[in-house]
Amino acid sequence: MEHAQHIIESTQEIFSSMIMLEVAAGEPFIRNNEMLQNSISGIIGLAGATKGLLAIHLSNDAALAVTTAFLGMDVDEIDEDVRDAVGELANMLGGSLKAVLDPNGSEVQLSMPSAVHGEEYSVDCLANAATVSVPFSFENHNFTVELQLRQEK
Amino acid sequence: MGKTVLIVDDSNTMRKIVSRALRQAGIDFDTILEAGDGQEALDVLSSNQVDVVLSDINMPNMTGLEFLKAKSEDDAIKDIPVVMISTETGADIIEEAKSYGAKGAIKKPFTPDLINETLGALL
Repeated sequence: MEHAQHIIESTQEIFSSMIMLEVAAGEPFIRNNEMLQNSISGIIGLAGATKGLLAIHLSNDAALAVTTAFLGMDVDEIDEDVRDAVGELANMLGGSLKAVLDPNGSEVQLSMPSAVHGEEYSVDCLANAATVSVPFSFENHNFTVELQLRQEK
Repeated sequence: MGKTVLIVDDSNTMRKIVSRALRQAGIDFDTILEAGDGQEALDVLSSNQVDVVLSDINMPNMTGLEFLKAKSEDDAIKDIPVVMISTETGADIIEEAKSYGAKGAIKKPFTPDLINETLGALL
């Protein structure tokens, strides 16, 4: 649960400053690799001195609401704009985390963000990774930010 | 007379957000141009009068740092100011960007006020 507070602060800052949405954080928990349904996940990998991934998991409805707020225009299907917006959220969250893990910017590298979506899929934990998930809510929507980290010796 | 800005980012969403932030910052831009990576940005600069560039760092095809380096080697465009807008703001990366001529860096997430403060000094 080491990085839970940082996840909360970063997520709230990103949503507030970039999307003008206030999001409330719930209690951190450990996700049990359960299947995600009718959802979209933005994922960014970390490599180097610390390996892992950061993911933001949103229901389709939450993703549409977020993208509508991002772009300032109505979005009503999971299209390229939604995938791009969710990937960019993961990108900003990853960047925020990297600033904490690697202030000089030379020991941890971020991957390009990816977006995965579908009716049912899973995003599984790395072997031996410490993991924490934080649930968030805004208006009538929920999403989760998940972090898996493994410190390399 | 309004100015021309070039926004360079592989994310269409982020290009729209930066455009919106520029309008909210109240900076007088007549024209906002866009490019999806460093190579596209070089192509835009070679055929348009641009007053300032806002560029991401991590992009496919040609990164923001590669773009800065290539731009610095072209006498026709080397003096156009570039501000990096990126999640990557580690000291080493910013140092490298400035060595290639970047005038500053804005970390994502950002506010219109920060954009105004950074660009105001350059325009």
